[in-house]
Amino acid sequence: MKKTFWRCFVCNDIHYGIKPPEICPTCKVKNAYVEISASEAKTITDAAAEGAHTKEDFLRAIEKLAEGQEFMINPDRTRLETLFEGIFNNERNHGLKYCPCRLICKEFEEDLKLVCPCNFLVHETYKGLDKGECWCGMFIKR
Amino acid sequence: MAKLIMFHGRECPHCRAMMPLVDQLEKETGIVFEKHEVWHDEKNADLMRSYRPILTPQCGGQLRVPTFLNTETNAAVCGEIPYEKLKEWAIK
Repeated sequence: MKKTFWRCFVCNDIHYGIKPPEICPTCKVKNAYVEISASEAKTITDAAAEGAHTKEDFLRAIEKLAEGQEFMINPDRTRLETLFEGIFNNERNHGLKYCPCRLICKEFEEDLKLVCPCNFLVHETYKGLDKGECWCGMFIKR
Repeated sequence: MAKLIMFHGRECPHCRAMMPLVDQLEKETGIVFEKHEVWHDEKNADLMRSYRPILTPQCGGQLRVPTFLNTETNAAVCGEIPYEKLKEWAIK
């Protein structure tokens, strides 16, 4: 099944996936999503974008992600700064916030697995370990 | 003669941690690593990608840095590893 784009016809939320949410997370209307083209989704998201996502924005976003979870952001600020440098360089040079501790293989679906934050819960450096961490060490188990 | 390659990333903390160990190993044994930075040099990235079928089964299914590859035996080790483990792999 191929992922595609969906738009809520009530509030214009955009969703990328095999199927749309049954209830729109923003306006709470049921069965409100219609399938749209990639170019329509891009036009809407580009128009809605407000400036660049800064390192501070990114830190805020991942801190929010880690709230109440079994993992946290690595308190080692030097390490974090190095990783942020790499992530933002990769976004500028290669298009997305790719993990600086791996390498893209130039296959879209595979390379999406490297976008930070990635699904590190399945990494052998994290899963089943008392002191697990993601491959790059940005997220560690609490 | 076996060629030993180290693939690394400039902003990868594991790579930074391994670099002094590689330097130490080179000094101690005379072994020389070919070092290729892969995020800021497309040729190096392509070189690493060309070894993808060999590297990914040994490195958790992905191309990861740092990766150490022996091009003669195709044996690879990845990530931050102790000095002795690196040495054992390198002189094998």
